[in-house]
Amino acid sequence: MKVTVVSRSGRELVKGGLELNDSASVADLQEAIYKRTKKFYPSRQRLTLPLPPGSKDRPIVLNYKKSLKDYCDGNSDNITVVFKDLGPQVSYRTLFFWEYLGPLILYPVFYFFPVYQYFGYKGERVIHPVQTYALCYWCFHYFKRIMETFFVHRFSHATSPLSNVFRNCAYYWTFGSYIAYYLNHPLYTPVSDLQMKIGFGFGLICQVANFYCHILLRNLRTPDGSGGYQIPRGFLFNIVTCANYTTEIYQWLGFTIATQTVAGYAFLVVAAMIMTNWALAKHRRLKKLFDGKDGRPKYPRRWVILPPFL
Amino acid sequence: MAGVFSLLRRLYLTLYNWTVFVGWAQVLFLAVRTLKESGHEHVYNSVEKPLLLAQTAAVLEILHGLVGLVRSPITATLPQIGSRLYVTWGILYSFPEIRTHFLVSSLVISWSITEIIRYSFFGTKEALGFAPSWLMWLRYSTFFLLYPTGISSEVGLIYFALPYIKKSEKYCVRMPNTWNFSFDYFYAAILVLGVYVPGSPHMYSYMLGQRKKALSKSKRE
Repeated sequence: MKVTVVSRSGRELVKGGLELNDSASVADLQEAIYKRTKKFYPSRQRLTLPLPPGSKDRPIVLNYKKSLKDYCDGNSDNITVVFKDLGPQVSYRTLFFWEYLGPLILYPVFYFFPVYQYFGYKGERVIHPVQTYALCYWCFHYFKRIMETFFVHRFSHATSPLSNVFRNCAYYWTFGSYIAYYLNHPLYTPVSDLQMKIGFGFGLICQVANFYCHILLRNLRTPDGSGGYQIPRGFLFNIVTCANYTTEIYQWLGFTIATQTVAGYAFLVVAAMIMTNWALAKHRRLKKLFDGKDGRPKYPRRWVILPPFL
Repeated sequence: MAGVFSLLRRLYLTLYNWTVFVGWAQVLFLAVRTLKESGHEHVYNSVEKPLLLAQTAAVLEILHGLVGLVRSPITATLPQIGSRLYVTWGILYSFPEIRTHFLVSSLVISWSITEIIRYSFFGTKEALGFAPSWLMWLRYSTFFLLYPTGISSEVGLIYFALPYIKKSEKYCVRMPNTWNFSFDYFYAAILVLGVYVPGSPHMYSYMLGQRKKALSKSKRE
């Protein structure tokens, strides 16, 4: 069949179109486009079916695993696809590794090295036990995240735009340094022993729960990386859609209760807001996908992320 | 019911815009008169009351955007009002030593001319349903000169106030304290100066875009 590839402005991207097998898959089409354009490797391509002008609907995105025939409505000799360049892409593993590496490395710098003399604080620094526990907790947390990135998570998309590397690293590295600065400060004031124990204890429990949530989510997807969405079940997922975010937020709450810095609370609030946005989108997506029609199960009534608020 | 709300909204906004207009007109009048009669060192003292009032009233505009009374996106109004309030209260009001600087004159004159045009433009639009084309032209053209003069005055005043900020320790929070928090107003001011670097071209090009939209729309009508 003949495939015409146009940009969103209507310009033909591949002069003369492409000639493909009738049984070709979308992935084959992406390979062919890459061969002709040389610059746009498959993960950079977003291919959609053309929409009638003025239509307010969201365009249908071609899934790389499906065969092209599935998208031809009747006329299987000709099809037009609209191309969008998603920009340079990196794998999610690369993205997560770099954003988590910053906090893992930068925080210990404030603990181990005499950086505070450059901020004007001369003299000896007394290290409180809570500061040592905080270092362990923090580094364990980001070490866990990196391990999960390589061995646990199964991603719905293979790649993310390169620009996200800069944006996400700026977020994690800046907040990480901001918190590390205050937590290891020579004039740091610890909280009571009891408060510290409760905070770290609660945080550790939530980290374990969070790990278990990640295992449950992993088992919803097949190892071949085909992504897709399932209804999460078991453990806290029975009452809350994004139990993984819930446990993550509570884990930071535990850490901040134990260490008591305004910087820590600021990070907690921002992180909770970001995760709430993700949770709302995921909850909506799952409810839309599992609407109870055509034999599909209906998504059960659950909290989105933070019972009893949302 | 909807008609009553729409009428009330128009009445309120007409009143709001013309009231603040009067405030800024006062600022311009007093500034020019003081400049001629007494010199730039006395300009702040003569305009202080109407300036503080008229500039602070702009906080209402954030509210208007939030509740949907006006269409302006909050992403454009927030940085604009933020920088104005910072310079007015955070620099001029807080550090009297800077008030005699000649940049204060260029500042209040740039601001007041801009605001007089802007508030009369919106005040007329709300009251009559349209604004005369010469007023629209003024609103979308004077920024070519007044944005650079205004922004330069803002940046200049913040910069020249830095030594006074550092010496006074005003608004600073020091450690140790139970919340393990600190804030240095001097370094925050330097950060603000840094934000002006990408912020100014962003606001300027936003106005350029608005100008294109508004003037082409009026051509088509």
